[in-house]
Amino acid sequence: MFSRPKHMEFVGSNILTIVTFTPAAGALLILFYNRAHARSIRTFALIITLLAFVFSLYLVARFDSSNPDFQFGVRVPWMPSLGIDYSMGVDGISLFLILLTTLLTPLAILASSSINDRLREYFIFMLLLESGMIGVFASLDFFLFYVFWEVMLIPMYFLIGVWGGERRIYAAMKFVLYTMIGSVLMLVAIIALYFIHGNATGTFTFSYPQIQSALASGRLVLSPAIELWLFVAFFLAFAIKVPLFPFHTWLPDAHVEAPTAGSVLLAGVLLKMGTYGLVRFSLPLFPHISHLFAPLISMLAVVGIIYGALVAMVQPDMKKLVAYSSVSHLGFIVLGIFSFTIQGLEGAIYQMLNHGISTGALFLLVGVIYDRRHTRLIEEFGGLANRMPVYATFFLIVTLSSIGLPGLNGFVGEFLVLLGTFGVNHIRAAVAALGVILSAVYMLWMYQRVMWGRVENDRNASLADLAGRERAMLVPILIMIFWMGMYSSYFLRPMDASVMKLLNQTQAGRVEYARDLNTFLSAQRRARSASPIGRSLKTRSASPIGRSLKTRSASPIGRSLKSGCAGSQQAGGADEVVRSALHVFAELTTPALQPFLRLRPIGLALRPAVAPPLLCEEGNVLASK
Amino acid sequence: MNLATINIAAILPTLVLSVVGIVVMVAEPFVGEQKKSNLGWLAFAGTLAAMLSLVPMANNRGQWYSNLWIVDDYDVFLDFIFLLIAAITILTSMDFLRREELNHPEFYSLLLFATAGMLMMAASNELVMVFLGLEILSIATYVMAGFRRADLKSNESALKYFLLGSFSSAFFLYGIALIFGATGSTNLLAIADALRSSKIQISLVSLSAALILIALCFKVAVAPFHVWTPDVYEGAPTPVTGFMSVGPKAAGFAVLFRVFLTAFPSIEDRWGSAIWMVAALTMILGNVIAVVQPNIKRMLAYSSIAHAGYVAVAFAATSDRGVSAALFYLLAYSLMNLGAFAMVTIISRKEDKLVNVTDYAGLGSKRPGLAAVLSLFMLSLAGVPGTAGFAGKFFIFRAALESRLVWLAIIGVVTTVISFYYYLSVIVQMYMREPHDEFSDVRLCGSLKFALVISAAGTLYLGLLPTRVLDWTTTAALR
Amino acid sequence: MVTTFHYLLLGAALFTIGVIGVLTRRNIMIILMSIELMMNAVNINLIAFSNRLQQVTGQVFAIFVITVAAAEAAVGLGIVIAMFKNKETMNINEIDLMKW
Repeated sequence: MFSRPKHMEFVGSNILTIVTFTPAAGALLILFYNRAHARSIRTFALIITLLAFVFSLYLVARFDSSNPDFQFGVRVPWMPSLGIDYSMGVDGISLFLILLTTLLTPLAILASSSINDRLREYFIFMLLLESGMIGVFASLDFFLFYVFWEVMLIPMYFLIGVWGGERRIYAAMKFVLYTMIGSVLMLVAIIALYFIHGNATGTFTFSYPQIQSALASGRLVLSPAIELWLFVAFFLAFAIKVPLFPFHTWLPDAHVEAPTAGSVLLAGVLLKMGTYGLVRFSLPLFPHISHLFAPLISMLAVVGIIYGALVAMVQPDMKKLVAYSSVSHLGFIVLGIFSFTIQGLEGAIYQMLNHGISTGALFLLVGVIYDRRHTRLIEEFGGLANRMPVYATFFLIVTLSSIGLPGLNGFVGEFLVLLGTFGVNHIRAAVAALGVILSAVYMLWMYQRVMWGRVENDRNASLADLAGRERAMLVPILIMIFWMGMYSSYFLRPMDASVMKLLNQTQAGRVEYARDLNTFLSAQRRARSASPIGRSLKTRSASPIGRSLKTRSASPIGRSLKSGCAGSQQAGGADEVVRSALHVFAELTTPALQPFLRLRPIGLALRPAVAPPLLCEEGNVLASK
Repeated sequence: MNLATINIAAILPTLVLSVVGIVVMVAEPFVGEQKKSNLGWLAFAGTLAAMLSLVPMANNRGQWYSNLWIVDDYDVFLDFIFLLIAAITILTSMDFLRREELNHPEFYSLLLFATAGMLMMAASNELVMVFLGLEILSIATYVMAGFRRADLKSNESALKYFLLGSFSSAFFLYGIALIFGATGSTNLLAIADALRSSKIQISLVSLSAALILIALCFKVAVAPFHVWTPDVYEGAPTPVTGFMSVGPKAAGFAVLFRVFLTAFPSIEDRWGSAIWMVAALTMILGNVIAVVQPNIKRMLAYSSIAHAGYVAVAFAATSDRGVSAALFYLLAYSLMNLGAFAMVTIISRKEDKLVNVTDYAGLGSKRPGLAAVLSLFMLSLAGVPGTAGFAGKFFIFRAALESRLVWLAIIGVVTTVISFYYYLSVIVQMYMREPHDEFSDVRLCGSLKFALVISAAGTLYLGLLPTRVLDWTTTAALR
Repeated sequence: MVTTFHYLLLGAALFTIGVIGVLTRRNIMIILMSIELMMNAVNINLIAFSNRLQQVTGQVFAIFVITVAAAEAAVGLGIVIAMFKNKETMNINEIDLMKW
């Protein structure tokens, strides 16, 4: 045995800091470049991002697949009096997302050759964006996470707003404001969680592992109402970012107006932050509510899958088509996450990588043709396969990967997601599978209209095939498409341990909750006749809500929740999903709304006496703090 | 009443400012036209000297001069903010006064007197002293607002400021008179003692607290007492606007905290909900109306109203942590807002030309350095992480949540999103619109550069490493 | 018998008249006078309380108020004159260069 040299230890313990801040340091250095030296700025930016990629390979090489915990951890006090640390770490869930980021950024930089205006600023923002994205995936401190989450908006805002298309200012503003409105509420939830954890355990900290383990071990128990509101605040931030179905309207604008590189990173990495947040924060921190809301969220995901596919089908603009197909694909990811099965979750994480690669590639390919023709309208093209055979081949492979052809990467993810979902709910899986078929329809139809047939439009007659630079940016993606399609276990194995751990945590919470809910329901039923609140509920029984509350115990959700202990969640058709969700909501908001009914002008109590009179009778864990 | 021991050190900063102010004023006729800006540097040196004299002052904690004057950490921290504001304002005004052909060094004297008034307000332990400090500040500021004598807009600004200022002063006085009648004292601690005993006419006390609150709300420009602000800020000379948007506001809040948390804590249930509503209304109105302002000075005026709303959130928390967050925010806000106004001063031309947001079009490609600095201030005002504005807001919302003001915190963060719209629209103009001006005659002289460096460095420092200052504000929090 | 209460009533009445004057009159000079009236209403209060409590603080304060009011009036008149040079009007409604 020989001892490792000192510098290796330094790298080993600081590798995450190095990966995260290499691009930011590069951005600082670009400031000193003369703006006239366009070529050397381009090369330098490329070198920096490649460097970050190489550093991130070190993560993969040294990653211990059997360890479910966070690795390569760094923790340095940042604002000690507030319990804020500079704390980073990687587990099987975030490992490949970081790699995806470092892989896509150099490709995006290669795709920036058409940018000539204010080049220096462009690359500075690109590099800052990369730092921000890696930081989001690596940070283990809520405050640090929030900082990266917000800071990363600014470079993206500039990339869309300065170098974007026709309606770029509108799109950039919409992007920032939409994302902001969700994330500021998350900030409130983070601070609230900080105080709840601090009051319960005595240590005030923003550290994610600490708060998470306190929740998992039962040292900190959230009351249902608090958990609901915290979940909603976090979920809104992530759902907008994903974007889940009703929150998706910013996405097509941002995608269409962003420059090619911006679209690649937006689709490839930024959207993954939303789904990553769901996996990392929503599930383990709020397992009970996640389980209760799973039917509703899955339904939104399924609606998103079908809606995105249908809208994509009628798009005349290639970029918009790909944007809507993202809405559809992200629906799969969310569906997988909220199936709470190992296949579904791994499939979802795998699908995050797939979508990053396939959709990133699609945007790159659309960018290639846009650079040549300055249009993205499908009707302008036709017969390109005759003029650009290599381009057509690349496009075909990426299209097939996006559809999910067996043997290519997309298949593995979608298959796992559907497998996981099918075990939970047949109908959801069946409808989602319809989405796969629809994706084949719109992708192949677009491919057919753009590539096949004769060249009708004269302006397409003299198009040049892919140049060396363009091949260089597409070949790594093709390699990844085949590799991830053939040897999926190479990517899935490192995830196993972490995903299992995550699932155990959420599953444990779920059983506990099902038990609690039964006591909760019976306690409430008994108390309702006695307490003034109960009386008020009773007098409302003429109203539909009152009726639905009263008949709740007989309703399917009551049954399904009770049978939830057994571990199967065989809720029925779509309307049952809706009804169950409404019931759950009514059940949970009744205690949660109490403080609002008693709202003093001075404000709402943070931890309202959430029906503890009702719950404490039973000595219920939910109410005990 | 006997004048107890005379302690020069305890009032040294105020003394230094007053003496330098008088020297500048007296020296003016004897200084040639070309050397008048040297008096500006003299005034700047005066603020630095006052800042240095904070050290001996801080070593003389306690109550002095028959308990009129109090020296504590709260006072020292606020004095530091005030002196910083004065120093940056002097640096910003030098070039401005030359450009506008207003190079009368009385301006610096007035500024120093106003600052002395603010120092008095922060240090006073007695309502009479508060009133005197307030008037010294206000009278000097009325004159500064009307400093461009030949310009009707400036006259109008001064007149409006004067009328509403003295109107609110009268309310303040009436409140003092009533509390004097109810408790037999104007000393804050004596009032607090008297209120704890039961023989007090509580209605009289509440009325006087309400009058004092209204008057101070006028001074710090929170809704619904903010209507004068946009007009006054738009018409006043730009560096003065910058000063008014931070100085009197910080001093007003200093008094608000001191009076209400020292003298009136026992009747908190009577004013607490009023503050809650003032804070909510201010954040909503300030941010929403700022969205539609074409004039950048007016936009910043509404934004300053909104920021006063955030400080009011910290006030509504009525806790140590609230006071500490408010102090931090006042410092952060002063730095970034003064920076923004210094930038407006640089870009605007003689007689307030080019002060519309659209006049900033293309600054990013013509003068990238200036645009980057202004972007920093705008992002900080909006509250992007890594800047002073975010740290300040974070501490305020943390204090609010700790005091269980969940709705106030939610209103706060949601209105912050609104504020992103108008701050980013300045960035939109600078980077995403075609320039219709070369910005070739934009001069950046040494003093302005210095002012920008101080504010930008401070903004970044407070944003990235706020711990040290936060610890200071924590010890400085009252109670 | 004239009690403290009567003085307070007088003070309150004068203060209210002053407030109404500021809010309703359009002539700048009259508004200035109304503000002076408010200040002096406060002075009556201070003296009355001082008399009742047998404390000299109120009277000292009243002298301060008179002094400050004089300074304020001087500055205020200065501002009005500066404005009158530029625009010959005393009507506050005509001073509307900026949105009020």
